[in-house]
Amino acid sequence: MMSLDSLLPETGSIDNKTDHKTVAPSFKTVGEFKLKDPRISCQNIVVRYGEKLAINGLSLDIGRNEVLAMIGPSGCGKSTFLRCINRMNDTIEGCRVTGKIMMDGQDINSPEIDTVPLRAQVGMVFQKPNPFPKSIRENVAFGPKIHGFVETKAELEEIVENSLKRAGLWKEVKDRLDQPGTSLSGGQQQRLCIARTIAVNPEVILMDEPCSALDPIATAIIEELIYELKKDYTICIVTHSMQQASRVSQRTAYFHLGELIEVGDTKQIFMNPKNRLTEDYITGRFG
Amino acid sequence: MYTLELIAGLLLLCAIAYHLGRRRAFSVAQGNIRHLHSLPAYYGLYVAMWCGLPALFVLFLWTVFESNVITQLVLADLPQKLRSLEADRLELVISDIQNFVSGNTVSGEVDASIKAAGLHYQRLQFTSHAALAVVILSLVIGVGFFSLSRINAKQRARNAVERALTGGLIACASIAFLTTIGILMSVLFESMRFFKVVPVTDFLFGLKWSPQMSIRADQVGSSGAFGAAPLFVGTILISLIAMLVAVPIGLKSAIFLSEYASPRFRAITKPLLEILAGIPTVVYGFFAALTVAPFIRNQGSLLGLEVASESALAAGLVMGVMIIPFVSSLSDDVIRAVPQALRDGAFGLGATKAETIKRVVIPAALPGIVGGVLLAISRAIGETMIVVMAAGLSANLSFNPLDAVTTVTVQIVTLLTGDQEFDSPKTLAAFALGLVLFIFTLALNVIALYVVRKYREQYE
Repeated sequence: MMSLDSLLPETGSIDNKTDHKTVAPSFKTVGEFKLKDPRISCQNIVVRYGEKLAINGLSLDIGRNEVLAMIGPSGCGKSTFLRCINRMNDTIEGCRVTGKIMMDGQDINSPEIDTVPLRAQVGMVFQKPNPFPKSIRENVAFGPKIHGFVETKAELEEIVENSLKRAGLWKEVKDRLDQPGTSLSGGQQQRLCIARTIAVNPEVILMDEPCSALDPIATAIIEELIYELKKDYTICIVTHSMQQASRVSQRTAYFHLGELIEVGDTKQIFMNPKNRLTEDYITGRFG
Repeated sequence: MYTLELIAGLLLLCAIAYHLGRRRAFSVAQGNIRHLHSLPAYYGLYVAMWCGLPALFVLFLWTVFESNVITQLVLADLPQKLRSLEADRLELVISDIQNFVSGNTVSGEVDASIKAAGLHYQRLQFTSHAALAVVILSLVIGVGFFSLSRINAKQRARNAVERALTGGLIACASIAFLTTIGILMSVLFESMRFFKVVPVTDFLFGLKWSPQMSIRADQVGSSGAFGAAPLFVGTILISLIAMLVAVPIGLKSAIFLSEYASPRFRAITKPLLEILAGIPTVVYGFFAALTVAPFIRNQGSLLGLEVASESALAAGLVMGVMIIPFVSSLSDDVIRAVPQALRDGAFGLGATKAETIKRVVIPAALPGIVGGVLLAISRAIGETMIVVMAAGLSANLSFNPLDAVTTVTVQIVTLLTGDQEFDSPKTLAAFALGLVLFIFTLALNVIALYVVRKYREQYE
């Protein structure tokens, strides 16, 4: 604990910076934040909420068909970083994101990029299950409908069935597709939200603490589902549970005060962390 | 005046009782108030309560029965000549006596016997006042000292005081409730009197409204008709026009205010919009009658349409403007109450802002919006002033918005203004109309409350 202060010479300056110039990152990220053939490559991301600096010059690549877990204490910028990847930060007033996020040779952080197709391509599952107050069928059909993916009712039914099957919910709800999505249990609601995301056929799925509102059994089901989904999708998951990160992910990134401290193979991060801060966090001495 | 003085004295005594009770509690506690069940102030309140409430009750009963008792006593002493008068003549004599006592002008010459009775009355009144003061004072002192002497550390003074306060709150709440019941009852009984003359079915489904009754059988224009259908049609027509104006405009301004407007713009605009609901309806009324109605007539005649100078359209349009804030303000609140998580969910699937509002936010807020609209409808149905001034009084059975029509409320006003006798069907018809209106708006309010409550359960 006492060594933390010496490790963080500029922590005080990160939160309350008033000038708008980028602050030089106080850390050099430990580990392989660059990949050879990344699905998404984030370069030098800086996020500010008004005057407050939330992420300070962060670079991180996300590989193809991998599950990348992001861990770190509350307020370290993991969710903010996640929301950069599908431009959800656009909906927050006073939030400004700079830096490059390269995906398929395009900078998706550029203002010219239309967020509608982007968000269809990069789906998101939220912390609290948020099914729409519509029927289960309508919840899953929402995305395909607004994007005009389907023309006939039969096609739509097929997408609904497939998505629910892939989210592992089909067996439980196939006889009550017309009941409201809010009538399901918390874990089922979250799987419904995953099915809803899958229905627009994304390539990347962002999950922001998807199990934090669920009980251990529902959590186990979702974790299994994440493992299954990995075959077809690239998944980024923010989690507060280190067991969860070690169970579902191949790579793990440790965030601290808006910066990426260490990233690497999940096994290595948990067995043999190279940075002192990472070690303190995963051994429970800090955070 | 005398009662007021008594109450003031009573309050003073209660204040003293409060102090004594508190002091007594302190002395019982022997300096450590932790020994007491309740805080010392509660013991003070407890004693003050026992002093005040029984005395107030006695005062109330006394005032209610005093004048009756005294009058009876005075009557018993009147000379035989006056006592044997008929009931209504006797009443006149009594009011003469009472007027004489209070020093008002008396009808005609003051008779010697009445003078004597007046003096008798005054004496009795004086005795009664003195007796009342003695009774109350002894009651206050007796009960006060009794409850003071009973103060001990284990006594649950706080619980007793809180129970009494709850009782007071219940009494206040029941006043509003009982008033409603009273109004309903009076309307109901008068309506029943009306329905004895005019059958319910004739009233509800009759197509001709011409509320008059013959005094003699051979009178000209004696055919009264109490078919209220034209009034119901007129009410529905005008309310419908009002809703056609208020719902789209109100809902859209609510969407703009809650989803698109900047917080600063909203902070300025929303109160401005709500001012619309605060303008007196009579102002809307002459605006409708003097500006909107002639405008519609002129425009109509340009298009070759026959427009009455007082039209349902003019009244409905202006009424619609008046109820915009009901729709917009309530809808704005429910739209903003839709959780951000739902919007995020839709955005996260790639929905645009418009799609999110149309397909997620509005459906989620719909029950609340419907509740607001229903409240606005009951407001529109009950509105009188605008219609009196802008839509006319002629009971035409017409669905044409360019015709002059009349509504239930307007007819109630015309039936009851001026000198009326309260036993002819003409005036009683007003109560029947009122009853229908009451049932209708009550039903709407119940539906609105039900819908709003259902909405509340949705995101728990």
